[in-house]
Amino acid sequence: MLSSAFPRLISRAGARVQPFSKARFTSSSQSTTSTPGFFGSKTAIASSTLLATGSLVWYNHLYGINLLPEASANSAGENGMHPTRQPFEHYGPFETFNHASIRRGYQVYREVCSACHSLDRIAWRNLVGVSHTVDEAKAMAEEVEYTDGPNDEGEMFQRPGKLADYMPAPYPNEEAARAGNGGGLPPDLSLIVKARHGAADYIYSLLTGYCDPPAGVKLAEGMNYNPYFPGGGIAMARVLFDGLVEYDDGTPATTSQMAKDVTVFLNWAAEPEHDQRKKMGLQALIILSTLTAISLYVKRFKWSYLKTRKIVYDPPKPARHGPL
Amino acid sequence: MAGVHDLIYRTFFKRNSAFVATCFAGAFAFQITFDLGTSAWWDYHNRGKQWKDLRAKYIQAGDSDEE
Amino acid sequence: MASLARVNLLPTSRTLASGVPLAPRINHAIPTGLGGGHHHGATGARSDVPQSFAFKSTVRGHVGRTNALPTSSSTQQRFFSSTPTKSDSHPMAAATGVHRQSATGVPDFSPYKAKNAGLNRTISYFMVGGLGVLGASGIKSTVSDILSNMAASADVLALAKIEVEMGAIPEGKNLIVKWRGKPVFIRHRTPDEIDEANAVDVKSLRDPEKDDDRVQRPEWLVMLGVCTHLGCVPIGEAGDYGGWFCPCHGSHYDISGRIRRGPAPLNLEIPEYAFNDDDEKIVIG
Repeated sequence: MLSSAFPRLISRAGARVQPFSKARFTSSSQSTTSTPGFFGSKTAIASSTLLATGSLVWYNHLYGINLLPEASANSAGENGMHPTRQPFEHYGPFETFNHASIRRGYQVYREVCSACHSLDRIAWRNLVGVSHTVDEAKAMAEEVEYTDGPNDEGEMFQRPGKLADYMPAPYPNEEAARAGNGGGLPPDLSLIVKARHGAADYIYSLLTGYCDPPAGVKLAEGMNYNPYFPGGGIAMARVLFDGLVEYDDGTPATTSQMAKDVTVFLNWAAEPEHDQRKKMGLQALIILSTLTAISLYVKRFKWSYLKTRKIVYDPPKPARHGPL
Repeated sequence: MAGVHDLIYRTFFKRNSAFVATCFAGAFAFQITFDLGTSAWWDYHNRGKQWKDLRAKYIQAGDSDEE
Repeated sequence: MASLARVNLLPTSRTLASGVPLAPRINHAIPTGLGGGHHHGATGARSDVPQSFAFKSTVRGHVGRTNALPTSSSTQQRFFSSTPTKSDSHPMAAATGVHRQSATGVPDFSPYKAKNAGLNRTISYFMVGGLGVLGASGIKSTVSDILSNMAASADVLALAKIEVEMGAIPEGKNLIVKWRGKPVFIRHRTPDEIDEANAVDVKSLRDPEKDDDRVQRPEWLVMLGVCTHLGCVPIGEAGDYGGWFCPCHGSHYDISGRIRRGPAPLNLEIPEYAFNDDDEKIVIG
């Protein structure tokens, strides 16, 4: 240990002529070869390996093996089928939503989904500049009566909706929703894309995935079979059928088209900042990578004179006035 | 060629006040141009998908108080 | 040449009486290349070397300068074992055409030197300036983002404007609407009332203000219905001046909403509003 702490001491003491290859590393090679330190020993290698393996084993004992599929009491069917990845137009780091699809999707939501599902977090004004003009949004809002008040007499009154109002809910409260749907609560759809594993792919697969239950599967009363829904039995029945709505832009309203459009709409509802976020991400990446490159250059520039220094020994000159 | 970079050096870099002022003015100019440039590419890349591409279809002539 | 070896010399701690540092194993016969530019080669005594009488010890073997750079030993062997005229010139020196002697073994870095120092300087400053520009714009957007966080959010702004239909208020009538939690008085004034408001001598008022400055159109008076004294809501068509009367402490406002009597210091406040003639509406906010 003394040798590693004071290499110069050792090399001074043993200042002897030796081959150049050794002389280059006089201080270090001498100390390591004469007394190999603890960190070079086989004991160190063995113990560190043991420590690493042991901590991994301990972690896995506590939390399970994250790299391997987890053992589960559920069968794959009970977890729901894994949704296929669909080629949505907004998938990809630089892609915005297809706003024509959002507009059609809103129509599907309004005409089909809103009979049971609320959309609490979206106000009429949110549609402006996304899928509808101001006048369209105002007109749609005014079709709905909202309770406001109290007025001067202290009573609540009904008034037509304004842009600042939020989307009306189909049921006044959870109990009413359950009562109207055989005990099942239709979830609020504002954040449903974020709230479900598989996100947009799952919503699309669920809407288009209804089929007859396979042999041997027994469904409870009033349940429908959908392989993408965890457990397979879902209270919601298939709602999308070809030609159910009539799009104002002439797009054929097939089941898959409507499912795609309403999925895009719900994805927008969950992530209204989506387009802006991706654009800002692009800008931030450009700026930050440029900053990184320039700071590397400047670092090298600032260090260059230190790194290229030469230290030269200039022996003393003989005296001008001749020999002493 | 030698004159160009020397001119740039003498105009913008030699005096520290000019250097700092150039940096700050450049920051404003850069922000505007960078924003315009990335937006142009963004709109080109996503043409036909954004609301600004669809808006004309749904807006009646005469109404102009849009957001 | 087989006995060629390198040693690490200790830093000299002793000096001879002649002023020469004691470095026993250095072979001063090897040219350094640092002295006279033209006297290279192994011939002749070096001018920068002390006279031989200054040394006590004898030169032992052919030992180069030590503590030199770590070139590989094979290079060093080749370097020293070639012919005497070339042995003292560095390989790199020959390549660049600069005949440099380098017994110190320090390589010649001159090929790395910038060809055009002025251009180099401009580029370096440009890069530093570019860092400054990007950093400044980053700081600027950060600051403006933080400041924009303090602005009203979209849902508040959505509620910030209300529209009132002008047709709903007949001449000579008041309407009270709620705007941002406060009452707003809208009065459709008759020509008589307008004349009455204009007839008042402005100089005699506590808070002198002409009626023209308080309205955009004389027939429409829009005011915040909050008494400027302690914030009560005045009663319309009441008081000694035919305008508003605050029941809390008895402030009287005239038909233009100006304070005439009572404790209130100022006239009733005018909010921001505009007329939308297409839809026959007053937009407050």
